[in-house]
Amino acid sequence: MSLVAGPGRGGALDGQLPDELQLVAEKHVAYIQKLDTRRDELEYHLTEHLRLSGIYWGLTALHLLHRADALPRDGVLDFVLSCLHENGGFGAAPGHDPHMLYTISGVQILAMVDGFDELEKRVTDGKRKIADFVASLQQVNGTFAGDEWGETDTRFLYGALNVLSLLGYLPHQRPNEEPALIDVKAAIAHIKACQNFDGGFGVAPGAESHSGQIFTCLAALSIAGELDSYLGEEGKDRLGAWLSERQLDDSGGLNGRPMKLVDVCYSWWVGSSLAMIERLHWIDKKKLATFILQCQDPVEGGVADRPGDMVDVFHTHFAIAGLSLLGYPGVGEVDAT
Amino acid sequence: MGRYSDDPAWADIIPLPTDEGGPNPLAAIAYDDEYAEAMSYLRAVMAANEFSPRILDLTEDLIDMNPAHYTVWLYRAQCLFALKSDLHAELAWLNATALEHQKNYQIWHHRMLVVDVLDSCEGEREFVSRMFELDAKNYHVWSYRQWLVRRFGLWEQGELEFTRDLIEKDVRNNSAWNHRWYVVNGREEREEGEAGGVVGDAAVREREMEFAMQAIEKAPQNQSSWGYLRGIVRKAGLPLQGCKAFVQRFASLEQPDEVRSSYALDFMAEILAEEKGSEQQAALALDMLAQKYDPVRRNYWEYRKGLLGVDAVAA
Repeated sequence: MSLVAGPGRGGALDGQLPDELQLVAEKHVAYIQKLDTRRDELEYHLTEHLRLSGIYWGLTALHLLHRADALPRDGVLDFVLSCLHENGGFGAAPGHDPHMLYTISGVQILAMVDGFDELEKRVTDGKRKIADFVASLQQVNGTFAGDEWGETDTRFLYGALNVLSLLGYLPHQRPNEEPALIDVKAAIAHIKACQNFDGGFGVAPGAESHSGQIFTCLAALSIAGELDSYLGEEGKDRLGAWLSERQLDDSGGLNGRPMKLVDVCYSWWVGSSLAMIERLHWIDKKKLATFILQCQDPVEGGVADRPGDMVDVFHTHFAIAGLSLLGYPGVGEVDAT
Repeated sequence: MGRYSDDPAWADIIPLPTDEGGPNPLAAIAYDDEYAEAMSYLRAVMAANEFSPRILDLTEDLIDMNPAHYTVWLYRAQCLFALKSDLHAELAWLNATALEHQKNYQIWHHRMLVVDVLDSCEGEREFVSRMFELDAKNYHVWSYRQWLVRRFGLWEQGELEFTRDLIEKDVRNNSAWNHRWYVVNGREEREEGEAGGVVGDAAVREREMEFAMQAIEKAPQNQSSWGYLRGIVRKAGLPLQGCKAFVQRFASLEQPDEVRSSYALDFMAEILAEEKGSEQQAALALDMLAQKYDPVRRNYWEYRKGLLGVDAVAA
């Protein structure tokens, strides 16, 4: 999957969008399919370090558009498994170092294409190896590193819980296993330490609240079954107030932090966070849907961060996932975590 | 023909081209450029696990072309430490690279590894401040700044003044407000039992409330300053009433057309909700928000009104 930007721009035709905006689903499908044929562009190679996530974004968008068949399953499986290292971690592409981020994408893709049997067939104890790799990255303070070099981020913690849950290796999924693969209690304590005075969460204790990090923290709490007990109604109200404040009245789009530009990807980060705490209706859904549709390239497909910018697969995916949360017709339902 | 294939220093290496796509790639790989060549040499030296000074040149070249390739950074770090290279020279090079690639985040983790080994933060805050001149809200740079404060114990060494200056420059810089909170309260939260911060030290609390109020005077419609003030009130468990006179100046129910801040009106609604017998007034404030001052979040204000436990008030 190529992460090449463009060729089109969101809101093409000089911003002359029809009054009744439509999701150009078939064009997005064609746009995603065409990405893999653009290997003669330099940017294809400059984005190799994201390749596996690129496939995840493209494939998820296709699933939500009910066109999972648009990418060949065998080709996807071959590529994903060619990124798997002996130690159980995935790199972004063959020859790239194993990293938590691509391990998440790899496992998410395998789950999406129903590929765990194939994994076990080709790699003995494949699931267990991946689970061990992820578990090995937990730090003494409960959080997770991205790789052996130790950078930590609440994204990695969420990723670890997500991967283990998809593989069926969370401690509560294996109550008879001693010792448990990871310390869930310590992980959740770390998430709590990342909560700020404004109700949001950051990348580390003390770091500024950021919608993307809020998503990872809420999803981690949710997977661990601690979302309701930790936040309570009051905590959800406070966080929901901060999250809903991300919608800007003029464009209807959402930003990631106060006084920052709107970006279509926050339709997902903010939207799914609000959905997890049952407060998605606090934003103006119609205005958000209109903003998302304005970011489409209605001619060649693909979605950009904002109207007028180049489209790419990352924003295409988060736009469609955002529309899914909003219950947009023709888009499949998505689980917010 | 190429930069590396023509260079005698690399004559011993047989470059490894990419194998992406397997035996039957969906499309022929038809690119030929500097980046592809450098990558093929990187694959070759990584396969041989080579650590030598020329690896630093090669990774520098690759990072210049594509700073987001995390494998290149890790290999460079391994090599630096294995060769016991001059880390000050590394920092000088990192400075130029960071200024050129501001959105990149791998660079900040790399910098952390280097500065940690150096065990000195000399010049680091000065460089970070230069980065903030270009983008005062860069999330990765702020994370690095907080790491510096923690790692080198800089809590009381000019950080407060630093946030004051940034907030003076842009009173809506939420990142600077957040850092101020961190500097004032972060240490206290880390060292148990030690008094301090807005909870444990009344003088600090007064000073910080005063700071927020002055910023509000300067720009009443500012989420960051109001959030900071309300954060202190909540964390210290102060009665909301204490802020009523101040809030009133920006959002008075008697002058519904002259509200100067939706955040003040929101705060006022909360104060009134806590007051016995003022629920109707609180409902009125929330109606004003839903209908005039923040209509995009109408459903949220309606929810807040529902929590008051009073019948709907006509605006």
